Amino acid sequence: MPIVEKSLVEVERTETLEVDGIDVSGDWNTFLKSRVSSDLDARILDWVKGEPQGETISRCWQCGTCTAGCCMHTDYGLTDFNPRYFIYLAQIGYEEELRKYATTIWRCVSCNKCVERCPKGVKVEEVVHRIGSYLTATGAAPESPADRFDRAYTKNLLRRGVLDEAELFREYERLEGRKTPTRELLRMAWTLLKSGRLHTGPLAHRTRGWSRMRSVLEAQLAEDDRAHAPRSRGPPAGGPR
Amino acid sequence: MSGAVPSRGPSDPVPAYYPGCSLDGLGKAYEISSRQVLKSLGLSLDRIVDYNCCGATEVKNLSQDVSVALPARNLALARSMGRNEVVAACSGCVYSLTRANDAVQDEATRGRINSTLARGGSPEYDGNASVQHVLEFIYRRAGPDRVRAAVRRPLEGLTVAPYYGCLYTRPKRYTGVGKTPGTDDPEHPHFLDELLIACGAKVVTDYSAKTICCGGGHALSDLEVSVAFSASVLHEAKRAGADVVATICPLGQINIENHLDRIRAEYGDDVIRPVAYFTQLMSLAFGSSLREARLSDNFSRPDLFLRSRGYS
Repeated sequence: MPIVEKSLVEVERTETLEVDGIDVSGDWNTFLKSRVSSDLDARILDWVKGEPQGETISRCWQCGTCTAGCCMHTDYGLTDFNPRYFIYLAQIGYEEELRKYATTIWRCVSCNKCVERCPKGVKVEEVVHRIGSYLTATGAAPESPADRFDRAYTKNLLRRGVLDEAELFREYERLEGRKTPTRELLRMAWTLLKSGRLHTGPLAHRTRGWSRMRSVLEAQLAEDDRAHAPRSRGPPAGGPR
Repeated sequence: MSGAVPSRGPSDPVPAYYPGCSLDGLGKAYEISSRQVLKSLGLSLDRIVDYNCCGATEVKNLSQDVSVALPARNLALARSMGRNEVVAACSGCVYSLTRANDAVQDEATRGRINSTLARGGSPEYDGNASVQHVLEFIYRRAGPDRVRAAVRRPLEGLTVAPYYGCLYTRPKRYTGVGKTPGTDDPEHPHFLDELLIACGAKVVTDYSAKTICCGGGHALSDLEVSVAFSASVLHEAKRAGADVVATICPLGQINIENHLDRIRAEYGDDVIRPVAYFTQLMSLAFGSSLREARLSDNFSRPDLFLRSRGYS
């Protein structure tokens, strides 16, 4: 049975205890609750490793350098965001525990400090995204705002080859059901127009001869999407139903 | 591990220039001021025509092959222009271009990507274009000495916080920063410090937000985090005693400026600092007017602040 540290440690428990006639009562802070895990599923690891973004997960030896420098964990102070732990849970296939972080794991901002510092060459940022997408693919995590943004971004750039920033902003706001007040939008639009930066809609930049590339890449994207779709690869038995 | 691809050919007299969507869009002031700076230093770049978006950090979360093919197409265009070197001004672009370079060092991947490119009507990519940030390019090709010689109006009395952000230096596995000779230090970058000092500005040395993230691609999807990081870029600048923050990435620039109202509401008016692309400040030092350096384009209006300091 693997020791999954956090969930097994009881904090500050006072015990009255006698061992071999010697009184060892007192305040203990590291009692390990005994537990047996029978729901570990190695297929999570296989799934994460299944694409190049997740391949390097096997190199991780759990030193924690990633978490120590992680800006979400350390600077922002979201201590539940612990890339080392996410990797550990994925490595041993402890889905039940991993699911507790379903609404946390997407918040990585991709600053890549972890990838920079990892002594073992784990592409931590990409691995963490891959673990996150396992949770969404199996339905264990809801689609996150970042997932929706990634999609809106990709869809937008594939349309013309270059991004229409203003259009993406509007499209994403619609997805989230948000609405920037018209006055503020007009103010922004005016500043951009004045400085000749309002390249949106019919004025948007486009890559010449893009349509062929667009259809090839959209087909590729759809193919990869199907591979990620829930159940198409048979999600591990431990997965949610 | 391949890391960034060192130039396999001789270095180009005029490397290819990859603008990316930002420099033709919201970051236009960055593009225009970069051109002014390069011209003053006698450097030139050759624009990649009909480039496409590099995919930034978003596309890789959906598809590995699309996330490699997008930047690879641009690198292929640079190679078909006969160039070994590509310069980009956006750190996000540098990240995805170098990431694609890393991926195509694997022969099977390169074959797959090239078949995608060919089907889409693009030239194939041999994997041999090295990529650098425009800051590195200016530092390596001109360096502080030539910058000092080109200064016509030293930025005296101006205290600047050099904000490098995350993806300029990171990760070295992709960017090659710190590994390849003549590159910046990944943990303690200093190229921007040196160039600004050469322009006569005072640069704050204990700027702890130097390489933090601005919230990056989560600027819209995770406001809470993005506003907090953007605010600390400004707050640390204030603590270190800087008047202005210099940026080297359009994403950082736009994120901070986009959040100004929220930062003001949450952290107060006194953390607000004008934010400008480093090339705007350099261009100013090389003799451009505030208007020519497009300092009025920025939402944080560095032009107003600089005018109050006697610049015109």
